[in-house]
Amino acid sequence: MRYFTRRVVLFLITLWAAVTLNFILPRLMPGSPADAALARLASTGQPITNAQRDAIQAQLGGANGNIVGQYFDYLGNIFTLQWGRSYSYATETVAHSVGRALPWTLILVGVTTIVAFVIGTLMGVYAGWRRGRAADATVTVGATFLASFPPFWLGLLLLYLFAFQLNWFPITGGYSAGTAPEWTWSFLVNAFEHSVLPAITLAVTSLSGWVFGMRNNMINTLGEDYVTFGQANGLRGRTIATLYAARNALLPNVTAFGLSLGAVVGGSVLVEGIFGYPGIGNLLYTAVTNQDYPLMQALFLVITVSMLVAIFVVDLLYARLDPRVRVGPEGS
Amino acid sequence: MQGDSGNPTLVENFNPFSAASELGGTRLIYEPLEIASPIDGTFTPFLATDHRFTDPRTLVFTIRKGVTWSDGEPFTAADVVFTFRLLKQYPALDITGVWSVISSVAESGNLFTATFNTANVPFAATVAAVPIVPQHLWADIADPTRYANTTPVGTGPFTLSSFEPTQYALAKNPSYWQADNVAPATVLFPAQSTNQVTNQLNVVAGTYDWAYNYLPNVKDTYVSRDPDNIYWFPPGGTIGLFMNLTRAPYTDANFRKGVSLAIDRDLVAQKAVNGYTTGASMSGLVLPNQQKWLDPSLSRRGYVEQDLTAAKASFAKAGFTESNGRLVDGGGRQVSMTISMPANYSDWVTAAKETANQLGAVGISVQLDLPQAAQFQTEIQTGNFDVAMNSFAGTGLPYTDFRNGLASSFAAPINTRTVNNFERYKNRTLDQALATLAAATDEQTQREATYRLERIMYEQVPIVLLYYGGSWGLFSTRHFTGWPSAENPYTLPTSYNNSILVVLTRLKKA
Repeated sequence: MRYFTRRVVLFLITLWAAVTLNFILPRLMPGSPADAALARLASTGQPITNAQRDAIQAQLGGANGNIVGQYFDYLGNIFTLQWGRSYSYATETVAHSVGRALPWTLILVGVTTIVAFVIGTLMGVYAGWRRGRAADATVTVGATFLASFPPFWLGLLLLYLFAFQLNWFPITGGYSAGTAPEWTWSFLVNAFEHSVLPAITLAVTSLSGWVFGMRNNMINTLGEDYVTFGQANGLRGRTIATLYAARNALLPNVTAFGLSLGAVVGGSVLVEGIFGYPGIGNLLYTAVTNQDYPLMQALFLVITVSMLVAIFVVDLLYARLDPRVRVGPEGS
Repeated sequence: MQGDSGNPTLVENFNPFSAASELGGTRLIYEPLEIASPIDGTFTPFLATDHRFTDPRTLVFTIRKGVTWSDGEPFTAADVVFTFRLLKQYPALDITGVWSVISSVAESGNLFTATFNTANVPFAATVAAVPIVPQHLWADIADPTRYANTTPVGTGPFTLSSFEPTQYALAKNPSYWQADNVAPATVLFPAQSTNQVTNQLNVVAGTYDWAYNYLPNVKDTYVSRDPDNIYWFPPGGTIGLFMNLTRAPYTDANFRKGVSLAIDRDLVAQKAVNGYTTGASMSGLVLPNQQKWLDPSLSRRGYVEQDLTAAKASFAKAGFTESNGRLVDGGGRQVSMTISMPANYSDWVTAAKETANQLGAVGISVQLDLPQAAQFQTEIQTGNFDVAMNSFAGTGLPYTDFRNGLASSFAAPINTRTVNNFERYKNRTLDQALATLAAATDEQTQREATYRLERIMYEQVPIVLLYYGGSWGLFSTRHFTGWPSAENPYTLPTSYNNSILVVLTRLKKA
């Protein structure tokens, strides 16, 4: 119980620090929201004027109040989910923008993270078990090869080959232009087709981390006495590999998996950008380029909170998986 | 029609006064009085049939009769007056700053009169471009600055037919006053990616009838893919080096001239935009668009050739000499220059690199500074920069171009913001020429005053103009013909501003 209380208190303190940083950091960015809007107009090549800046400043309003007052408003609004209005989408509340983008990222990045974790871990177990043999070499070299692909580069390559040249998949978007999200078979198929290339990009580039981690843990664990003991007792190789070695080797990977599940919410800015995917990563890009403080705050808040929650859950889970953590040093 | 970048989804906003987030299709729903061509300032009439100045401060539009709103209500001059008063009441809506010049508006019959504070004839283009909204619907809106206007009612050639975050569709307005001139039955605006390469692939894949996108090697990448594909890349504005004129040595016109003479402008254009446009004329005009205003006494139409001997002579006049390949001042210190531009404007960055090479060859030490676009805006507005890349001109109107870029009244002190004349040029002669041009209603006076402005630009070099920024129009003639072209340059091929209304009322079915 003490372990649990300690974790909760630590969680709350970290949360407050993260939330406060989240308020300060966007405001430390050079430039201002009005200048960002003006820069966007200027980037289209049209002449911009002082009158335009004045009007934009007036439309954005609010951002110039007392900074301390803004901070307490912000703290209060966090708990009521009243995140205000976005500067980039003047007519929409931030909560609405985030709510619209979140499911797309959760499904795309979440599913690929889980798939990459499962496949990568299994491959790591296999490579570790067959260490030094041809199978190990194939998996290790293959994973090194894939790990050296930057996601945006692989994304562009897949886009060019399979979407542009071969026409197998659509080029952009989460679903076809002119359709709206709905629970019909045809829409789901359509959304699936759009998600294939970004999913492959994300899965392939994150796979190798799991493979390496698991393989190296396996090799360490396989050197333990209990493995030798199992072998001496005549247990089958597969039984030792999966039930004894892999179970213990999995622990560090679980921590990493928890963290990467927490990071899912942040999306993948580069990959979502390339495929024009309607998720959080793209929204974050828009928010940052427009110096959209309300939207940035909300997004960073969602990201940090889910990260902290993931760490918290992993901590608790660890106590179950590995009793040594729960008991602490005095118990050993 | 490639019109809106959705980032990556579109948010419904058809408020024509939303500075930063309105959707491009809004410009096909609401019409202005007239649209001045960004090429040469020629007016295309919409809700007004014509305009005239009864004196240089009184602008009278004749309002078109027989026009109805898309909900069937009649359109009158009262709607025009209402719209202008709305902008006065809510300065946040006045994104073109009409009330900085207008002092009052009035109607009588089918005449709409705008009275100006000061004589400003070229400002007619800005007044004419205000989109007109219906009084019977907009009078009741509580806060028009936050109004998303999801069921827009306008007088324009199209009405909103469907909206999804990935795409919206406009359908032809059957009761449009010039419905015979509108060929497309529907216009689709799909959302675009934030990624430039992805957009280029979409364009090349033939998704659009009209796209606006820079494509390298356009003949191979676009034109050769379909016999219907055509392109037109006319110059839109001028990209130049804006030196901070409050800092030495940029205060010295001889130094600026030296810089101007040291640069091979066509080579810069070749590197920056694939040679689609040429080096810029130091007249300050966008050529050939504004040909008719060009001072015939300027040698070589204002184009300045690279001439290193003359450059060195000019630097020497400013007190700088070459020593061991370095351009040094009297104390032996090398001239150092930092050119800044937004990191994501790749053509500017390429142009700056080439310029830096060429200036390095005359012994100036040049560094590049690449901040984010918003930070760059803050730096130039507050005057905290050394040399900045930026654009000059592009409205089609010499007065507006020169005034925005060079008028002394905009030259704010350092740390006070100004978007216009951020290089902080001050020249009384130029201000007088601007005032003359503002008040001139006859072409001869206008011509003479414009020539004076061009000669100041050419001789004093307040801005070192480098090359013409292109306007990247990509068209397909499969469904429609009559796109703007070099043979018929009635407007720029910019789908993101009100040129779209001019083009879509001129297309013919293929």
